[in-house]
Amino acid sequence: MTPTHFTISSAFLLGMMGLAFHRTHLLSALLCLEAMMLALFIALSLWSLQLDATGCSTAPMLMLAFSACEASAGLALLVATARTHGTGHMQALNLLQC
Amino acid sequence: MAYIMLTLLIGMVLGVISVASNPSPYFAALGLVLVAGVGCVVLMGHGGSFLSLVLFLIYLGGMLVVFAYCAALAAEPYPEAWGEWSVLGSVLGYLLLVVGAGSWFWGGWYEGMWVPVDELIEFSVVAADSGGVALMYSLGGGLLVVSAWVLLLTLLVVLELTRGLARGALRAV
Repeated sequence: MTPTHFTISSAFLLGMMGLAFHRTHLLSALLCLEAMMLALFIALSLWSLQLDATGCSTAPMLMLAFSACEASAGLALLVATARTHGTGHMQALNLLQC
Repeated sequence: MAYIMLTLLIGMVLGVISVASNPSPYFAALGLVLVAGVGCVVLMGHGGSFLSLVLFLIYLGGMLVVFAYCAALAAEPYPEAWGEWSVLGSVLGYLLLVVGAGSWFWGGWYEGMWVPVDELIEFSVVAADSGGVALMYSLGGGLLVVSAWVLLLTLLVVLELTRGLARGALRAV
């Protein structure tokens, strides 16, 4: 595994672990999701550059557009949560408890 | 050049660790800015200057600004930075994990592996990544129309989510 490949893979996996082991704020979970999207963008761009397959450069651009859509939907959920429950803490989302 | 790329890649991993250890969202957004900036320079080092510019503009200038404004929703009197033990434990754990996983691989890393660029680093009339993105407008025109449709749909989704008042599960009290 080349160093660059190792770095982007570990960036993605660390973001995923940060999302899985979230603590208090919904916003920090959304930021970990954004870190995963960033690692994916850099990975797609580096693959299209390293393999000299420049026709694949459209993939990171479209991925960035869709990740912006996803971020805005996540932030709309955060705003709706904060307006309903008063805080942005994950403990407030306890209607479905086991 | 290999040392520059080493520093940049280490900076990227440290930035993602600073986000993944879940400090207060102010500091996590700062870590994300660091990752995006360093990632842009990594892309430039591999010859993708246009994609790096797009990342800076759209990601840092668009999305992270919106996240920074939403961090006002997470205002608390004593925000936890990376000095707090609950966050520092996560930072040290992730560092140990990355170093441990890296120790599997760094036996086989040699000097020429850090910046393996051959054709795309030099000047040309049409830069490689810009020419690739231009395909989105010519052969990939259908996908462009579909993406515009998706963006419009997302706008309507966001407006419906934040409408509140008495529709849906999340209502404004």
